[in-house]
Amino acid sequence: MIKLAVYGKGGIGKSTTVSNLAAAMAEKGLRVMQIGCDPKADSTASLHGGTKIRTVLELVRQRHDGFTLDDMVCVGYGGVICVEAGGPVPGLGCAGRGIIAALEKLGQMGAYERYKPDVVLYDVLGDVVCGGFSMPMHRDYADRVLIVTSGENMSIHAAANIATAVENFKSRGYASLGGLILNRRNVKNEIEKVRELADDFHTEIIGTLDWSETVQDAEPLYKTVIEAFPDSEMAGQYRRLAENILARCGGEKSC
Amino acid sequence: MLKKVGGKGERNSAEVAIRDAAFPAPFASGLEYNAPARGPWNIVQTGMLIPQSHQIFACARGCLRGVVLTAAEMNAMDRMSWISVCENDLFDGSLEQNVIDGTTDILRKMETRPPAVLLFISCIHLFNGCDFGMILSELRRRFPDVDFADCYMNPTMRKSGLTPDQLMRRQLYSLLRPARMDGKWINLIGNDRATDESSELVSMIRGAGFGIRDITRCRTYEEYLKMAESAVSITYLPAAVAAGEELERRLGQRHLYLPLSYSEEEIMENYGKLADALGIRAPDLSAAAAGAEKALGDARRVVGDAPVEIDYTSTPRPLGLARLLLEHGFAVRRIYADVFSGEEKSDFVWLQRNAPELAVSATVHPKMRFARRRAQGEKTLAVGQKAAYFSGTGHFVNIVAGGGMYGFDGIARLAGRMTDAFLHEKDTKTVIQLKGLGCESCL
Repeated sequence: MIKLAVYGKGGIGKSTTVSNLAAAMAEKGLRVMQIGCDPKADSTASLHGGTKIRTVLELVRQRHDGFTLDDMVCVGYGGVICVEAGGPVPGLGCAGRGIIAALEKLGQMGAYERYKPDVVLYDVLGDVVCGGFSMPMHRDYADRVLIVTSGENMSIHAAANIATAVENFKSRGYASLGGLILNRRNVKNEIEKVRELADDFHTEIIGTLDWSETVQDAEPLYKTVIEAFPDSEMAGQYRRLAENILARCGGEKSC
Repeated sequence: MLKKVGGKGERNSAEVAIRDAAFPAPFASGLEYNAPARGPWNIVQTGMLIPQSHQIFACARGCLRGVVLTAAEMNAMDRMSWISVCENDLFDGSLEQNVIDGTTDILRKMETRPPAVLLFISCIHLFNGCDFGMILSELRRRFPDVDFADCYMNPTMRKSGLTPDQLMRRQLYSLLRPARMDGKWINLIGNDRATDESSELVSMIRGAGFGIRDITRCRTYEEYLKMAESAVSITYLPAAVAAGEELERRLGQRHLYLPLSYSEEEIMENYGKLADALGIRAPDLSAAAAGAEKALGDARRVVGDAPVEIDYTSTPRPLGLARLLLEHGFAVRRIYADVFSGEEKSDFVWLQRNAPELAVSATVHPKMRFARRRAQGEKTLAVGQKAAYFSGTGHFVNIVAGGGMYGFDGIARLAGRMTDAFLHEKDTKTVIQLKGLGCESCL
């Protein structure tokens, strides 16, 4: 089982990237599970037509222990198993705690043993601002962390924070840094800035995604690019990125 | 919003006739009251059962009060240390490191290093997603001569998963390591006190040539570790089942759950399972069953029509006990329980049909703070400390969690204890305020 946690600054395109990766991997016949770790609970929206799915925390709040694994998942495009951790009421509660509770509940209920996914993708909100957001990096969750970034300064700053957290946890046997995904915003010296970041953390840029209107066009359709525009250039870029990740993190190369 | 307890318009939900009671939760859950009946054991007392072990609690000072007082009352302060958690630990992310450094500091300052440490983390560590596994790995690296058990003081999380009591009983055996099994030894696990030697359970095991290991009988840590070599682990309290299942999974010990029961049919069924496990023919227990019947008859003659009240702390089967006593002519009037075990469904249904007026009272509902605590001209016999407290009687059987009484012998002994309690009054306040029935007390 390949377990990847995808981090990056808020709004950088993590959920779009992760959902397209999930769709591309599913196309290859892999059983993929995507777990959205964001209180907004919209990580997997483009995989199931934007329908509202029950989050793990909603179930915990409403039914305590009285729900099953099937209540927690929604099967989306290509058979991708979609889970949304959910979170507290906006402005109240603790989002990090929500992620902890949701991931623990999935583990306790045997989600990984039951669905036996080939690939698990954790789509994690924003920066590693507290212990809750580092949870997907812990042992028993992801093996590798991928960071989505552009060449914008704030995005690079967030990526550096995330990479530092991964570095700090190295001695604990947590997930290691699997590389950077450059999601272009077409800023000046973009590739050089992201390459410098990769060098600072002794990692690589494992894929580059162009800024494309195709991505924007797929969004209102509540579909991934892979599903909505399967023959587009962007679909090709997502497929190549998926191939590259699988090759690196699937055992063929060190990730 | 807080409301005055007992104020106008409040739903009268602290008591219900069993015919109208919902199963398994007859009362709404909410703000809770804790009656000053302190006999039932807590995590500190249970943890102390591991001989020569030391307990370290990492939690906020306010939460430490209860556990420290427990250790102090049982004259065991030399077996407990603690690490205070402060707000700053949250700001600077040092929650985990403080547990590691604090434990290290404590162990280095001890004159004699304990063979085992029960390390308790608290709600705040779990809320923050602390990596307890990492903490323990580091401590095991620093102190390879010490066994560390992960333990939990997390009352705010007790509404889901295992209860603190179940979890503590499970963790109590977590230091047992896989060992070569000796088929002639059997563990009795999950109990606070030894099972009576006179019970058929003990005599059947010994009579078949097996030895019994029980943490309550262990005097050294080595004796405790020997429990890993037993081939079978028997539990009879529901709170101990998780421990038995875990030992079966982890050590391969066969787990036999033989629930404490007051039903002749279920007792015979239990002994049948035990005989199978021991590889012996089921013994003739008719004399034991007759002995229980006789003892119940004798007790009934003494107690007469005096009201009997039973609470859930005295036995995991208060409904089963009520049924047994009603079937033998006792005037059982009231059960104290906040929730019923699923195992008691058939007894619940029987009581609804055959004793519909039987009262069921909560123990933690806030209204119980103002419950009657003085017997109104009647001599009430209570079974359990909470029943004694709420009924205001001095005539009570002072037991918790079955009191080590099991099977037909257990019924006979319980009947004898009821007779004794009815004839001899106790100073209820003095007796029930002692923490952990059976533990040493400095009071």
